[in-house]
Amino acid sequence: MVRKEPEGSGETRLETWVSYVLITGVAISFVLEAAGLILYYRTHHSFAISYGSAVIIRGRDFFSFFGRTLLEASHGVTGMRLMVLGIAALILTPYVRAVTSVIYFTSRKNVKYCLITFFVLAVLTMSLMMH
Amino acid sequence: MDMLSLFLISIPVGFIGSLTGLGGASILIPLMVFFGIPVKEAIASAMVSVVATSSGSASAYVRERLANVRIAMYLEMFTCVGAIVGATITTRIAPLYLYFFFAAFLMTSFLKVGGGSAQEGRSGEPHRTGRLSGWLELEGSYFDEATGETVHYRADRPILGGMGMVVAGLAAGMLGIGAGAFKVTVQENVLKLPPKVASTTSNFIIGMTALAGTSVYLFSGLLNVTLMAPMAVGTTLGAVAGGRVLNRLTGTVLRVLFFAVVILLIAQMLYKGIRSW
Repeated sequence: MVRKEPEGSGETRLETWVSYVLITGVAISFVLEAAGLILYYRTHHSFAISYGSAVIIRGRDFFSFFGRTLLEASHGVTGMRLMVLGIAALILTPYVRAVTSVIYFTSRKNVKYCLITFFVLAVLTMSLMMH
Repeated sequence: MDMLSLFLISIPVGFIGSLTGLGGASILIPLMVFFGIPVKEAIASAMVSVVATSSGSASAYVRERLANVRIAMYLEMFTCVGAIVGATITTRIAPLYLYFFFAAFLMTSFLKVGGGSAQEGRSGEPHRTGRLSGWLELEGSYFDEATGETVHYRADRPILGGMGMVVAGLAAGMLGIGAGAFKVTVQENVLKLPPKVASTTSNFIIGMTALAGTSVYLFSGLLNVTLMAPMAVGTTLGAVAGGRVLNRLTGTVLRVLFFAVVILLIAQMLYKGIRSW
């Protein structure tokens, strides 16, 4: 077990925030995907891997895909919808981590890291939106 | 192969991946290909398991203040761009080349084993580095309970390290893996970071690199839910278990395991590539 010595800086708060974001995202995704798998089996009585269009995630951009997934889930829960929701939550986790970092460095008025984290967030946002 | 068997395979894969530092995807992809899953679908879907295992373990490393968040964020600028370019290439080239690229990139994993221990035990004052590194505050310290020393460090040659990260991101995006071994190599040998900081910071970055690549696959029709869900659940379980037993195993056992797994995977991908020629 290795621990970095406390430095007494605000960076500790960022590490705590980031840690919570990551573990929460993974936990939510894990629960949704596991529940989705069980429900899928109860409905189809099969664990066969499919290559049909119904199991392929495809969309114009991630955010509209995420919104559509939430909307579909609100109409009724199915195994497939839960699995898709779990995957969407997982994909969103590092993105939320990037947003958290931008907010943190902006609040600390750290211009250098505000620009660095904003650049990463902008690249990710563009890649998730523009296709 | 069905979802249940993919889930069951993913558990030991996540376990071995976390022990060896290879991550789940680089082991899982050749296995999926072996069981007849198309290489492009395997690569695209495995990116999600990279996010799962990376985010799960990185949360602990960050909480323990071992991963350096500033260095990670600086390096992410380069890996994200590389990953997007790499994933775009994969959607446009023939699957045949991917077998050989995968085998070739797995060979770089040996660099980590070869160069890893050379920097171990670095302690005391940070060494002299360029102005850029100082300006970017790419430095930190941690208390190493194994040696009882506080280790201070500062990243060396940040521009060169950044270029290395573009290559790592490119490979990660192209091959659907975290490219963790290569990232650790760059951080240890170019940035001159202590091994423990390098491996944990690399783990932290991997999730973001994978996201950049995944976003490209999202629109290519290669992300298959029936592959991704069992894979993500299985590798997460395995990685958590692996993280718990890691400290109980000796370095020699881990090194032998690492070599055995990588050699097996290289042979398998080369065999598949030659057969598809």
